[in-house]
Amino acid sequence: MESLIRAWRLAHVEENGKLLASTISLTNTDLEEFAYSTNSARVAEDIFRALEYENNSARPKITNKNGLEAWAEVYVAFWKVSQSLERYDEVEWGQVFTGMKDLTQAVIRGFQNSGWEVWALEVLYTACKYLRYVAIRADEAKRAEGEDAWKQLEEAARIINRAFNVCLNDRAELAQSRKWGTYYIINLLFKTYFKLNAITLSKNILKALVANTTEMPDLLSFRTSDIVTFKYYCGVIAFLDEDYFKAEEHLEMAYKLCHKDAQKNKELILTYLIPTKLLTRRQLPSATLLKPHPSLEALFLPLARCIKDGDLRGYDEYLAKGEDWFVKKRIFLTLERGRDITLRNLFRKVYLAAGESKTRIPVDHFRAAVSWKSGVDVETEEVECFLANMMYKGYIKGYISRERGMVVLSGTNAFPNPSNTS
Amino acid sequence: MTTPPWRAAGGTAVQRPGFHPVAVRKTLGKASTQASQPPTQAARRTQFPDALKAYVARTFEHCPSENKSEVEVALKKIITEAFENQTVWSIDWATHPLPTAARRASVDSSDMMDISSGDEASPISQQPSVNKLNKLGKAPNNTNNNVNNNKRKLGSRITSERNESDREVSRPDKRSKKLNTSDYSYEGPDAFKRLDRKYKRHQTTKNVFSQYHSMHSALDSPAFAPIVGRSTTLEKRYLRLTSAPDPATVRPQHVLEKTLELLKTKWKAENNYSYICDQFKSLRQDLTVQHLKNDFTVNVYEIHARIALEKGDLGEYNQCQSQLANLYSERIPGGHPHEFKAYRILYLLYTCNRSDMNDILASLTPAEKQDRAILHALAVRGAVASGNFHRFFRLYLDAPNMGGYLMDSFIDRQRLAALSAICKSYRPDVPFRHITEELGFENDAECEAFLVKHNAGQFIKTKQTTKGEGDEQQMVDKVTLETQKAMTTFEAAKAAAFKKVDIKGQI
Repeated sequence: MESLIRAWRLAHVEENGKLLASTISLTNTDLEEFAYSTNSARVAEDIFRALEYENNSARPKITNKNGLEAWAEVYVAFWKVSQSLERYDEVEWGQVFTGMKDLTQAVIRGFQNSGWEVWALEVLYTACKYLRYVAIRADEAKRAEGEDAWKQLEEAARIINRAFNVCLNDRAELAQSRKWGTYYIINLLFKTYFKLNAITLSKNILKALVANTTEMPDLLSFRTSDIVTFKYYCGVIAFLDEDYFKAEEHLEMAYKLCHKDAQKNKELILTYLIPTKLLTRRQLPSATLLKPHPSLEALFLPLARCIKDGDLRGYDEYLAKGEDWFVKKRIFLTLERGRDITLRNLFRKVYLAAGESKTRIPVDHFRAAVSWKSGVDVETEEVECFLANMMYKGYIKGYISRERGMVVLSGTNAFPNPSNTS
Repeated sequence: MTTPPWRAAGGTAVQRPGFHPVAVRKTLGKASTQASQPPTQAARRTQFPDALKAYVARTFEHCPSENKSEVEVALKKIITEAFENQTVWSIDWATHPLPTAARRASVDSSDMMDISSGDEASPISQQPSVNKLNKLGKAPNNTNNNVNNNKRKLGSRITSERNESDREVSRPDKRSKKLNTSDYSYEGPDAFKRLDRKYKRHQTTKNVFSQYHSMHSALDSPAFAPIVGRSTTLEKRYLRLTSAPDPATVRPQHVLEKTLELLKTKWKAENNYSYICDQFKSLRQDLTVQHLKNDFTVNVYEIHARIALEKGDLGEYNQCQSQLANLYSERIPGGHPHEFKAYRILYLLYTCNRSDMNDILASLTPAEKQDRAILHALAVRGAVASGNFHRFFRLYLDAPNMGGYLMDSFIDRQRLAALSAICKSYRPDVPFRHITEELGFENDAECEAFLVKHNAGQFIKTKQTTKGEGDEQQMVDKVTLETQKAMTTFEAAKAAAFKKVDIKGQI
């Protein structure tokens, strides 16, 4: 316990947030020693004594009696966490979670009532981060017993949401404001809401943020890691809302700012950016882009090739092949629209094959092309239906004359350049 | 509270971090030098030499999880022997051979694309090499001093960096960004993975029907403890419960079974939906308050759902559907889960609920993907998604079970969408017959009625064309739709039809 409390003092002397945060981290290397250093009857007294001792051991004093009490609450809660983690053969995660809740709430109170300064925000981050982790473990344990909910994670989300408000609504002068913690906490909330499949709650957070935007420091002055994560989630939220242009904006920014070695994060971003670009610009990922990401490459590259070649059968096959993963990532329903682009490219090939100046092409030619490329004999009516859709969406300029069984294409630019339409 | 020797070195831990407790001191003065010296006699039983701790850490470091228990036993034996022979302080643990089980290679599998766990979204990795070094316990003899020395050095570094500010508003955490606390805790991207390994994580399967459960579980809470009914009247009007149910007015299952038979007969004979719906609701209520969840319950909900479908009462249908999803997921025998899953897919098409659609697609098992009704529903979904109205209306005419009734709920919408595309693309007109056939109308009259209903009647024109050749040439009347003119009408009607659907009881 002494080393922990000594680190507490040192962190305060140095205003070292990371070190202070490490004193309540579950990965703290003294966790076990701390767990065995006292018992439940004595813990409150022992911790207060230790804090008092360090507080008075040298100048300057760290805090007054109230301040010590606030910290004592934190470490007593942390001790409960440590002992439920370290002192049983089988960890009871529900119990750890109860301790973690007390810990996080004590930390939030510390910021709210005891004037903890902004350099100590790491403590809030660490508390919330592990609160979420422990909640998930606790829920998983319950689920293993057959219960089917994320009750504890939901509870954690409510507490983290309070941390969010404590950051967002701090009115102190900017240099000393907890507003600097907002984005880290938001990202944690997003992560939690996504796990809970409660994406609408993320939108509420964004609304609260927008309402406060004038007093917020510019997003770009936050830590890059915070920005990237934030932009990624904003992008995915817009994507799920089918607001693809907004999604493109967010995801592109996330991709650009993403650390060059953070391959996994880049993959996460690309997972949504690729289908987005397919819809907004009808842009396909290049081989070079996908090269560093073998798992994405295996799924997206053949698909992109089929779209380009108008290879309907190949497209259907590769879409089906990746379906499980696409569905899991919620991009299947968007990628599926790539079939239109495949068709458009196929029809364009028919047009090119007919000769440059030909504007009247029999529907039957298109039918033959679709039958060949999809491997199924399609009816004339179905091909007409495809053509009608293409024209309706502006992929093809022209009209169908049913009487003559002809497609009459526009003399100029019958297949408008994809990136300029829609 | 004495720790057994093997416990003190991490009995519950899969892998042991190279941590060494800092000796108890009351001053910040010079660090003591006792680290690797044998401690006093009293502490001997419970304390480990640092080198031994490093040895334990090394043992668990590469230990495959399936060998863990074996390794633990071996390790316990080695250590206990060392304590008993009093050799614990004399063995050179750094070169002591590891237990054999720990030396077998382990396979490390990690899911690359798991978005939901860990800290992976923050791209800056915090000096994993340093962590590793500590973890491996490379410097087992001087850690005691190290901790404090490091901190002090860091402290002085911070003081010199304190005035740094390179942006307009300097971020408060800037000054500490160079800090490295890896000597004290393992933060960074893989912190959670370490915890996962330390406190073994068991895989659990995810159930996609969780939302139904949470809805349902409200009724299962102890406040609504099951009662057993005593009523024997077959028919009962539905009343929303505002207080605890009275057993005198609740019918037990054997009575409810008779009620169901009665209702089935009455429905066939009278076809009075408002009466039937009311009776079924009270029937369902009696089931709920008595916590009856069995094949009979499933049967009741399925019958009510089908009747509601037939009458196009989607609100009531949906309530039954969500209860059914819950009952199916509890693996209650009986019932037709495939049939109702197919309905659910069609229903989600109607509500345009993309995220739930995604969930249901994710939940389909290979067996379900072989089922005729589900295959049909999936084909309908595909046709709607790709705008393939030709295929869509074929599927409409060929819907299994009661899927056709559900498709009725959005058939008009799809017809308007198809008409918009047709009017945009066909010039100068399109044969009326073609529309009747393509849009799944039963006959021309029905098609005409539909067009008139959407204010497009005036665009139906009769055109005279010649047919046949030579002497047999004759004038024929041909009914067509003037596509260009009708375009805006259908566009507007389509937009109105696709406006958000809102149904009570929708989930």
